[in-house]
Amino acid sequence: MIPFDYQRADRADGAVAAVGVRPAAAFLGGGTNLVDHLKLGVAEPELLVDVTRLPFDGIDTLPDGGVRVGATVRNSDLAAEAIVRQRYPVLSQALLSGASGQLRNLATTGGNLLQRTRCPYFQDVTTPCNKREPGQGCSARGGYTRYHAILGASEHCVATHPSDMAVALTALDATVHVTGPNGQRDIPVTELHRLPGDEPHRDTVLEHGDLITAVDLPELPMAARSRYRKVRDRASYAFALVSVAAALDVEDGTVREARIALGGVAHKPWRANTAEQALRGAPATEQSFREAAEAELAEAQPVRDNAFKVPMARNTLVATLRDLAGEEAR
Amino acid sequence: MSDHAPARSPQDLDDSIAGGIGESPTRPDGALKVRGEYAYASDLWAEDMLWGATLRSPHPYARIRSIDIGPALATPGVYAVLTHSDVPGENLYGLKIVDQPVLAVDVVRYRGEAVALVAADHPETARRAMERIEVDYEVLEPITDPELAAHDTTLPELHPGGNVVRHQPIVKGDPEASADVVVSGLYTLGMQDQAFLGPEAGLAVPAPDGGVDLYLATQDLHSDRKQTAQALGLPPEKVRMTMSGVGGAFGGREDLSIQVHCSMLALHTGKPVKMVYDREESFHGHVHRHPAKMYYEHGATRDGDLVYVRATLYFDGGAYASKTPVVVGNGTTLGIGPYAVPNVRIEGWGLYTNNPPCGAMRGLGAVQPALAYEAQMDKLADALGMDPVEVRIRNALSQGGTTPTGQVLDYPAPVAELLDRVRRLPLPAEHDSAPADIRDLPGGASNTTHGEGVVRGIGYGVCIKNICYAEGADDYSTARVRLQIIGGEPLAVVHTAAAEVGQGLVTVQQQIARTELGVERVNIHPNDTDVGPAGSSSASRQTYVTGGAVRNACEAVRDVLLQRVAARSGESIGDLSLSGGKVVSSATGVLADLADVIGDDVIEETREYHHRETYPLDEELGTSERAQVQHAFSAHRAVVDVDTELGLVKVVQLDCSQDVGKAMNPEAVIGQIQGGSAQGLGLAVMEEIRVDGGTIRNASFTDYLIPTILDMPPMNIDVIERADPNSPYGVRGVGEPPTISSTPAVVAAIRAATGKALTHTPVAPEHIIADIPR
Ligand SMILES: Cc1cc2nc3c(=O)[nH]c(=O)nc-3n(C[C@H](O)[C@H](O)[C@H](O)COP(=O)(O)OP(=O)(O)OC[C@H]3O[C@@H](n4cnc5c(N)ncnc54)[C@H](O)[C@@H]3O)c2cc1C
Ligand code: SF4
Repeated sequence: MIPFDYQRADRADGAVAAVGVRPAAAFLGGGTNLVDHLKLGVAEPELLVDVTRLPFDGIDTLPDGGVRVGATVRNSDLAAEAIVRQRYPVLSQALLSGASGQLRNLATTGGNLLQRTRCPYFQDVTTPCNKREPGQGCSARGGYTRYHAILGASEHCVATHPSDMAVALTALDATVHVTGPNGQRDIPVTELHRLPGDEPHRDTVLEHGDLITAVDLPELPMAARSRYRKVRDRASYAFALVSVAAALDVEDGTVREARIALGGVAHKPWRANTAEQALRGAPATEQSFREAAEAELAEAQPVRDNAFKVPMARNTLVATLRDLAGEEAR
Repeated sequence: MSDHAPARSPQDLDDSIAGGIGESPTRPDGALKVRGEYAYASDLWAEDMLWGATLRSPHPYARIRSIDIGPALATPGVYAVLTHSDVPGENLYGLKIVDQPVLAVDVVRYRGEAVALVAADHPETARRAMERIEVDYEVLEPITDPELAAHDTTLPELHPGGNVVRHQPIVKGDPEASADVVVSGLYTLGMQDQAFLGPEAGLAVPAPDGGVDLYLATQDLHSDRKQTAQALGLPPEKVRMTMSGVGGAFGGREDLSIQVHCSMLALHTGKPVKMVYDREESFHGHVHRHPAKMYYEHGATRDGDLVYVRATLYFDGGAYASKTPVVVGNGTTLGIGPYAVPNVRIEGWGLYTNNPPCGAMRGLGAVQPALAYEAQMDKLADALGMDPVEVRIRNALSQGGTTPTGQVLDYPAPVAELLDRVRRLPLPAEHDSAPADIRDLPGGASNTTHGEGVVRGIGYGVCIKNICYAEGADDYSTARVRLQIIGGEPLAVVHTAAAEVGQGLVTVQQQIARTELGVERVNIHPNDTDVGPAGSSSASRQTYVTGGAVRNACEAVRDVLLQRVAARSGESIGDLSLSGGKVVSSATGVLADLADVIGDDVIEETREYHHRETYPLDEELGTSERAQVQHAFSAHRAVVDVDTELGLVKVVQLDCSQDVGKAMNPEAVIGQIQGGSAQGLGLAVMEEIRVDGGTIRNASFTDYLIPTILDMPPMNIDVIERADPNSPYGVRGVGEPPTISSTPAVVAAIRAATGKALTHTPVAPEHIIADIPR
């Protein structure tokens, strides 16, 4: 760990200015990811600006029926919120399936969205990694890749995004509010995270000094029947091998609308547009679910150790849709 | 009688004492541990102490061209930077083969090997100084395949003498025997970690006599002392060691970690030095369970009688030998399991590679073959169309039977009985009879499965494990027992060097002293090297060996007392006994109170306990009249639910029958069986250190998964006591067997549910769903 300065921000503009002017400065949320990276030498900020006292700790209903979640709301509090549990159960379930109670008590909405990959080579500073040091090369290619991507990877990086919460937000079409050195912006969460391409060091479209202030959940009645399913190596407290966030609107046995995102399969939470497209207007049957899942995964390109993720993602998606359709039928 | 004995009320009301052998008294360390008040080695502290840190190799195999410590030494707050040239004594240590440098000289053989040491005023200063040590490495191609290391003579030799640590054949009967029904298989096992929670830690304090006092967490003080003294170039009596709180061990604390390093820094700086590893360093700083590759062939008659077993076992020892020779010894001698087989040919190889060093872990060398021979027994049952338990019972070893090394078992071996008992334990309810709690289904709280596509499977596993050291080692322990009167009451103090690693040894020692001396108050003296060796808390041996030593020392103290009373009372010593703090005569009743007999005296006796002699294996044939002093057996039945779509397993129930000879402390026995079974379950379905290119890729508890309470099912535990006539109180080692038989039972249950071959353990989702057609 390198020596660093610490400041606690009480205003958003002050925090943005403090980080914006120093290239080696970073915001600090709950610290559950960043502090680990400090210890591992993966992150070497000279200044940490603690944003957890900023006035972004509310969960409020918006006039248009949506819900605004402040960036510093703790994961535990968001998961427990009645509005979320009733109207967006997929989000509550995703949060509760992540990490542990203690970690969720610290982790923030903003920090969770921006947590970095668990790729072991990224976390081991003695091995080359394009995400840590652009141009070094990717040690995962040809190495241990059980947790890596099957969709949208590049020759430069095959890492996955580890967040559960972000998968649910992606299915829900949430919007991220950002305040940065150049003012305020709204970014659809589906466009926040990037595919690696030839710039794997950029996880997201955010620029240095951009502060997440809130995440808006749109009014979405179908989300009241939504699900998060996570497949992992033990019953709790483990990252996803694959996960599915889905909401399904079925009428008279026909799918009217579907919202689907996959976790653990790509460099970003993977919005399953192809599957959604295939489902719209299709009969709500196991057959359609399977075809939709297969269409989504047709382009999958496993690497050495993760071929199992293709059938696992397909089966998890089918099982989740089957589940939702069954519930709808009741 | 003493004039100073205080006035006290009559004490002759009750001559029984609570908390003796066969009861389950409260552990003296229990409440402290539960309340978080127990001091572990990582809590050690001294005024003015420095912090030590270890620079480790980032490469699995490299030549060291040069080391420049100049910039590190110039760092403010740094007191010492040491390399191999600063090792005062011999720069080599090892448990069985002295092959591991204290600090690397011109080559590093594994990622994480210690290269240099720093002492500084703060751990962070030490860490930064380490980054300034410049080591110029010439990176070499690592050897990572143990089977190649055994046979490919073109590979570089990692140690003088080659890459074979031990090669042991075992031959019994006709090694080329043939049979009507033959099953074969290749089985592999991943590398398991002991996953103790308390990382390696210690505090070294330089002493005025030029020696050092080291406070630490270890499994064997005297083994540590011997190796440390050698490396420090000091006589052993100048290296004094005292046990600190041990946060788990499971074999991972048998080899040296901080011992020499911390002492070197303390002696060099003249100040107390503390070292404590963080979790990642801990993964690199201790040995792991040997991964194995095992080729098996079983032949049987059509009636199901085993005719022969042939097997070749490769154990990856990693860069240094550690306990590899013993793993090969146990793996081969126990390689056919608890079965009677007339014809056997087993070949075991322990190899050097550039993978992380592997050594002791609970079930040493017996865990690996159990996975193979039990899978083979199921395959055989399948080929014969027989019930898997029946095949096992039909071939079960029993008292009077002969092992593949030719040893005749002269103590109970109730293998068939254990199998029969475990299959009779109650089974869990079927799914549809009870509404499913999502946490009881595969995937648990992750909301993955709602019961669709879930299949149930049942599997069995039974095992054999040798207890205590084997193959001719002089295995003994020492106990000093002191009896005196404190506050008007007799108090016994038991002093041994035997490590309490969480197994409850302190409690058992108290129980033995209570029963043998008839006194209620028994204190356990801190473990240190002021008393003779106890050997390691490993091989399920401490209750046996240290228990025997405590008994012997108590008997000696008792003899002194009884002689006194006999002389005084004129009664025959044979009629006297100690009970409830009194000397009692079978002829005339209570004769005297201990307080009166002892007065101001201190009666102290030190005794050793040596178990029966064992003998080495013949190098060519593996024969030995008695290779091992005792064997222990346990049988498990696992019930699993498997979501075959997602590859997820939920162990629904895990039951165990075990023979413990004598349950010295019944609750502790249950605890050992539960803990061992949980560790075995972990190995069955999740625990694997991922080593790629010689490097550990999951050196954290975020990435190396061990079972949580949600993964561990309820257990029915059935303990039987078939006393071993050769051991103190008839005890049989308890700690290891349940770790061994649980894993094959769980894997067998998953096989039964899925129909998959599952040749690699741990079983992961990809093994269950991978070949489901797309
Ligand atoms: C043992 C363990 C297990 C875990 N298991 C899971 C799991 O199963 N599923 C899962 O989803 N996650 C898991 N996590 C990850 C956990 O969810 C994240 O660490 C957590 O959500 C990060 O939030 P934080 O507030 O602590 O972020 P921090 O660590 O404080 O920050 C993370 C990043 O976000 C930046 N940042 C923080 N707040 C803002 C803001 N408002 N605006 C802009 N940038 C900001 C920081 O600069 C940093 O780069 C696990 C973590 C651990 C340690
Ligand atoms: S996959 Fe990405 S994060 Fe992992 S080593 Fe390659 S570049 Fe780095």
